[in-house]
Amino acid sequence: MNHARHLSLALGAVAAVLIAAACHDAASPQGTITAGILPGHDKGGSQCADFRLTGGGRVDKPEPETGKSPPSSHDFATFGFQARPDAACPFNMAGSGNIEWNEHSETQYGGGFAFHGQVTLFSTPDDGTTDPQCGRFGGFGRLNPHNGATEEDVSFEVNHACDVDEPGVGKDHIYMRIGPLADGSIYFRHSLLSGGNIQWHRLTGNN
Amino acid sequence: MTTKILLALTLLAGAVQAQTVTGKAFGTYVNALGVTSQSPVATLPSSGGMATGQADAFGVAGAVDASWLNAVTTGAVDNKKSGAQSTSELEQVSAAGGAITADIVTAVATAYFGQFTGGSDGEGSGFTNLVVNGEAITTEVAPNTRVDLPGVGYAVLNEQIPTGDGLTSWGMTVNMIHVVLQDALLGLTTGEIIIGSASSSVAR
Repeated sequence: MNHARHLSLALGAVAAVLIAAACHDAASPQGTITAGILPGHDKGGSQCADFRLTGGGRVDKPEPETGKSPPSSHDFATFGFQARPDAACPFNMAGSGNIEWNEHSETQYGGGFAFHGQVTLFSTPDDGTTDPQCGRFGGFGRLNPHNGATEEDVSFEVNHACDVDEPGVGKDHIYMRIGPLADGSIYFRHSLLSGGNIQWHRLTGNN
Repeated sequence: MTTKILLALTLLAGAVQAQTVTGKAFGTYVNALGVTSQSPVATLPSSGGMATGQADAFGVAGAVDASWLNAVTTGAVDNKKSGAQSTSELEQVSAAGGAITADIVTAVATAYFGQFTGGSDGEGSGFTNLVVNGEAITTEVAPNTRVDLPGVGYAVLNEQIPTGDGLTSWGMTVNMIHVVLQDALLGLTTGEIIIGSASSSVAR
């Protein structure tokens, strides 16, 4: 339970950063930012969500730009995830699932990295995202930088992953944050999909 | 009235039909000189979920060398919409004795359907700093681009193979580098190398 509380506060802190970053801010750069000490918040009283999310594909340019980076560019990431509320809902926002996130930009943390995360929290976004079919989830994972030592128990949050339409390219979007990393920075990438899809599914009791 | 009842029954039957998704992704497959070798494969359960297949490095002498192999497939099934999406990527790729190299090879295959329609595509697939026969390719490679590899055979780059009937099933297989090895004298196929493969399909 303490672990859950700790996670909830961590996500709250990250969410506060994201509110400042603003979902549709065209000026939002991709990259790392210095981690700040931010007040945590706990929504309190929330129930476990009644939907789940799956997705995978590729993200390149910062939202609202669309499309792939040029063929000479390493500036993109690929991902795959499944996330859902914990079936037993032992506490508010309890979640389960996994995420893989592979960053290729050589100017990003570690000269690029592979991140393998486990989902422990799942809820609806609270960052002002207006699309109706979005989810927010987070947890901890292992980060393997291209240049450097493996880091364990690194926190992450998908501040939102949104299913806007089928197919999802140029419409669905995802906001990934990982950190604080070993150097104190926080990685983030916030993009419309340039490949792949995100799907939002209402839980029906059979799925 | 009868027509309306039949239509309703048809829609109801469609809603309760079994939905399936498939997904598969891997970094490399080699079948050459009597040797068959494959990097870890990610295979999606038919009910959906997630699977991965990864390796820090993979090599078969003279055929392929690559690092940071990551294959991921995810998918979900329900009555209103289902989807599968698979990705495969590799870095520092060298194929067919160095005839083809690339900093990054990325394959993305997506299949989906909603309440009224479905589809599949290979959007997001691509190469970073591709070089073929010593020549840098600085533009996007169109699907199913064939290049000759003297002394080796030929390769299909960004190979995209649609699957499904387009009515109740949709799918896509993407093989970013598909080398067909040929006998230099007779032109007979002697083997193949596949690098960066992702497949996804859905059916209702």
